[in-house]
Amino acid sequence: MQVDHQPVPRKEINESTARFKKRATRVLIYLILMVFAIVNAYPIIWMILNSFKSGQEFALNPFGLPTEWVWANYVEAWFTANINTYFFNSVFVGGVAVILTVLFGALASYFLARFQFKGQKLLYSFFILGLLVPIHATLVPMFILMQTIGLLDTRLALIFPYIAFNLSITIFLLTSFMKSFSKEIEESAIMDGAGVFKIFWSIILPMTRPVLATVIIINFINNWNEFSFALVLINDDLLSTLPLGLANFAGQHSTNYTAQMAALTIVLVPTILFYLFMEKQIVEGMTQGAVKG
Amino acid sequence: MHLLKSRWKIALGVIPALLVYCIFSIIPIFISFYYSFMSWNGFSPMDYVGLANFRAILSDSVFWLSVRNNLIVVAASIFGQIPIALVLALLLNRKIKGAKFFRTIAFLPVVISTVVISLTWRMIYNVEQGLLNHLLNNLGLSALAQNWLGNPDYAMYAIAAVIIWQFVGLYFIIFLSALQTVPKDILEAAELDGATEWQKTRYVTLPSIWGVIIIAVVLCISGSLKTFDLIYVMTGGGPANATEVMATYMYTETFQGLRYGYGSAISVLIFVFSITIIVFANVLLTKRSGARRA
Repeated sequence: MQVDHQPVPRKEINESTARFKKRATRVLIYLILMVFAIVNAYPIIWMILNSFKSGQEFALNPFGLPTEWVWANYVEAWFTANINTYFFNSVFVGGVAVILTVLFGALASYFLARFQFKGQKLLYSFFILGLLVPIHATLVPMFILMQTIGLLDTRLALIFPYIAFNLSITIFLLTSFMKSFSKEIEESAIMDGAGVFKIFWSIILPMTRPVLATVIIINFINNWNEFSFALVLINDDLLSTLPLGLANFAGQHSTNYTAQMAALTIVLVPTILFYLFMEKQIVEGMTQGAVKG
Repeated sequence: MHLLKSRWKIALGVIPALLVYCIFSIIPIFISFYYSFMSWNGFSPMDYVGLANFRAILSDSVFWLSVRNNLIVVAASIFGQIPIALVLALLLNRKIKGAKFFRTIAFLPVVISTVVISLTWRMIYNVEQGLLNHLLNNLGLSALAQNWLGNPDYAMYAIAAVIIWQFVGLYFIIFLSALQTVPKDILEAAELDGATEWQKTRYVTLPSIWGVIIIAVVLCISGSLKTFDLIYVMTGGGPANATEVMATYMYTETFQGLRYGYGSAISVLIFVFSITIIVFANVLLTKRSGARRA
């Protein structure tokens, strides 16, 4: 970088206009970004703040902080809306589905990434094809299938489709990562007499940990937010997941806005906290999945 | 890469995933095709009716309305999400204070459950208590206040706005990570040649991320065809079918109208539309990248 020591006057004027221009652009950029940030975040903040107001205050004073923080909305949402039950259902169904997806997916990825066998490429493409299957084209057969095998209105009715629809992205991300390991890794283990599954469990899986985390997060977010399958396959309110329970609750209490907002906030805050903690991994995982999917 | 001798070990590893995947993702698609040739209310025995369902769909005005609404979502996504996301990504790709903060805020809606977003926005659009009408009243624009979701003329556009809001962050992040791969030396060379910021963007940056932009457009289209949760929760397809999209119409016809065959025929069309677009885009993309390599 060279510094001009003795600028001639004309150049000085030029430089100051340039500096002014630069500053003006900067202000403009910040203005655009601020507007965008407000549009993006304010609806959520508005909702959270109003969840603490009484129905009357919400009607009279929809902006700003509540004058009196009404926690009763939360009590009502938690108990009338069965949020605790939905919460448990979402964690249970989502959690079991994630564990099984990652287990099945990692095992399949291991064989697809580390071995050569007939039809291997075809099988991989077949798994990746699932990224293109629109969920809504499977709803009717899924409903009939679950009815036929007697799983309709049970937790398993959600767990199976959740596994099936997350396997593609799981196998996609894990396979490309496992392929990057060097060849020698298994060779020494084989010398030591370790079996294929032993190598998978105690060498490959631990090495896959960084991507495993991303895969688990993506899987869990997908399951946590899923609505369509729950809507079609679950009828019993006690088995509802959060999105379904919330939609039903809002339908029944459509005029009790503050209780609705409290229920939404209860669901929203853990998601936001989780996102803030895991931001890097979530964002990277999502873009990898999105760009290549 | 190893050549594994024992086939049963491979089978043992691959079969659990393959089984669940086939039974709950692939086979249902084919069953959907099968059902689409039937007339059937879910309980009665199925009646084979050939292409009758598809013929009926061709003259079903609500179905075409739902296709039109799907196209509105496609248009809103392509002309709303992509440009906004691109501008934001270009702005935040430079050294700027608070870039991380803006990035975090931008991506936030993407991780929030669609049901939560739908319910929040339903309250924002609420006639009397909603944020939007309050805001308009306070700004002295009461004349613009509307029953946003209750008026068939506006409802679809109100929903399209939420869809843009929800997914701008996803495309923004995709573009931002693409921008980081733009070769710095070319940008520097352009700068030495006296290129302005705009010229660098127009002639260097955009062309080098063009492939990603096309992928984003394809994602936009295929995502738009799948729109369901948001509309189902916000309006249920109403008022008077004004916000019906293919997926909500399929759901209503099947599970509320108990026309399982007809609903399946609509699902088949959703599937066919999606696949057509993706294949078409794929051909387009491979052609482009092939040309570039040559």
